[in-house]
Amino acid sequence: MLETIKLSKRFKDKKVVDEVNLYLNKGESVGLLGPNGAGKSTTISMISSLLRPTSGDVKLDGKSTIKNSSEIRNVLGVVPQEIALYEELSAYENLKFFGRAYRVKKAILEKRIQEVLEIVGLKDRQKELIKTFSGGMKRRINIAAALLHHPQILILDEPTVGIDPQSRNHILETVQQLNETRGMTVLYTSHYMEEVEQLCNRVYIMDHGNIIASGTKDELLSILSSEDTILVELSNRSDTLMETIKALPKVLQVEETSEGFRIIARKGKSLLNDLVHAADKEGIQILNYQVEIPSLEDVFLHLTGKTLRD
Amino acid sequence: MYPVIYAQWVKDKRKPFLILLFIGLSILATLLFGNIGENTESKVDIFASGPEREEIEEKWVTILNENSDIEFTVTSEEDAREQVAEGKRDVAVHVMEHDYRLITSSDMPNVQLVEQEVHKIFTEEAELQALTGTENTADIRKEVKSYLENAPLLVETEAIQGGELTKHDMGKQLLFVFTLFIAMFTIGFKVNGINADKVSGVWNRLILSPVSKVGMYSGHLVYSFIIGFFQMVVVLVLFKYVFDFEIGNFAMILTIAAVFTLSAVSLAMLITGIAQTPEKFYMIYPSLLPIIPGISGLYMAPGVMDNPVFTVLADIFPLGYAVEAMLDVALYNAGWGDILLPIAFMLLLAVMYMGIGINLGERRK
Repeated sequence: MLETIKLSKRFKDKKVVDEVNLYLNKGESVGLLGPNGAGKSTTISMISSLLRPTSGDVKLDGKSTIKNSSEIRNVLGVVPQEIALYEELSAYENLKFFGRAYRVKKAILEKRIQEVLEIVGLKDRQKELIKTFSGGMKRRINIAAALLHHPQILILDEPTVGIDPQSRNHILETVQQLNETRGMTVLYTSHYMEEVEQLCNRVYIMDHGNIIASGTKDELLSILSSEDTILVELSNRSDTLMETIKALPKVLQVEETSEGFRIIARKGKSLLNDLVHAADKEGIQILNYQVEIPSLEDVFLHLTGKTLRD
Repeated sequence: MYPVIYAQWVKDKRKPFLILLFIGLSILATLLFGNIGENTESKVDIFASGPEREEIEEKWVTILNENSDIEFTVTSEEDAREQVAEGKRDVAVHVMEHDYRLITSSDMPNVQLVEQEVHKIFTEEAELQALTGTENTADIRKEVKSYLENAPLLVETEAIQGGELTKHDMGKQLLFVFTLFIAMFTIGFKVNGINADKVSGVWNRLILSPVSKVGMYSGHLVYSFIIGFFQMVVVLVLFKYVFDFEIGNFAMILTIAAVFTLSAVSLAMLITGIAQTPEKFYMIYPSLLPIIPGISGLYMAPGVMDNPVFTVLADIFPLGYAVEAMLDVALYNAGWGDILLPIAFMLLLAVMYMGIGINLGERRK
């Protein structure tokens, strides 16, 4: 339905998006995951025709949208990262304004407004001014404004930044509902791994303007199929012990945690004996040893050597 | 365009205080400063002291009132000083046999005018006394008056286009200056909505909608025009019909106001393009605006401002052209042909400012 081909953007000497290829099938929910500054928002801006790419193409149903963007704009609903609403207007007035801007016919605009308010669960607060809303409620109206013209593709740019867990859950449920019950195609960007894991069928992982991995959750996790993530809780830590562990032939990566170490090692024979031996030498006790089920966070760590929030 | 106008209208309908405040300010400023000319003809208290107080007061009140447009009234010393101390009068005059003292608490323009008048009359009286060698100058004054009625040489002053010479009315000038100048603030703050929309993300959202960029700019600019023009009309109607200001052909005044509004919207668009953010606009625009009437010499009588640098600078702002055209209509009954030139200048500035402003705005990162 929608695809990008070698999509790139350069600002002066800095390449912020580098030959990004991604696609969205109809009715899919796709995640675009990456830390701040990875190039997610720039990619979205280019897909939604707000920003002209330096090179590459965006195609909707096989047709390029770079020169003629009106078609893609008609089918897109974009939820920007910022609260793009008039604070001095009520929720209803904001939606009426965006509805008119999207040329929703007068006869059905009222129905649409009530419909989207129902979806985001703010029907009873529609007469209140946006400036009196909590951050979470503002973000929900921000989503509602993008739904008024019944878009086929919904692009959400970090829609849960800076809000309370309750509002966050509400937003995630709303997006899930739009995708599952209304068949809306969703492109969801976030740097929260758990959101993408919950919502998306497929995930693109982005870092430094590049797509570094993509696939379904299982496909991505299979990257780690040859590795184990082990959490070790220690009575106390020492740099010498860390160096000793790093030097073990099976160990690929060691990271300090609040209670001990997080070790990524090749699958196979248990590390436990080697660890006990090394800890004994330092006079340190191993309090807990746990082999973790890998998550997308581990995949990201494996691919980039850093966590998503770094 | 219409959705943008709708949103701005709903915002202002909910909070009309800014526009009401600026309308109030226009009226207040004109009433406060526009009556300077009338104040010069206001009453001035005089008093004398000593045993011959009554005679001195009677003598000087007659001479002063016969030879000046200012109305001098005799009052007690206590009352006169109290009036000045409380700010009810700018000045009072303590008259003596051959001298006078001004009683004042601040250096108001009226004080200098009264000083000039009183000084002239006292000097004249001293000269007449020296000439006649007597204290009684009533006879010689009468003689001079009757002689001047049939003077051998008569000077007649006439306006350049014939007819009676029109006296410049500072009150009307200030009415136009304040009405247009204060409306520029309203217009600017409305046009700044473009920057606010760009920063909040509403602008990008609209770009993705079927509203064209022309429609987005037009929505903001047309709305700013309507609000600014409405403010001017309210003030002008109020002064014409409630305060009885004779401001000439009203249709012509409104035409000039409309063209001025267009150029003021364009000027605000230029600053919007330069500033790029609402905060920077709030820093630049209100700092620039008060300079314009100053360098255009609009707070002074025509011709007083002759600094060539200021005059050239004033020419790149529309305010001077608009006030000049309005004064031509109000004071000299100018016709449509007479106001075409200032209107053309304002339109030229409007086109230039708008073009540069929108270009700068579109070049933002």
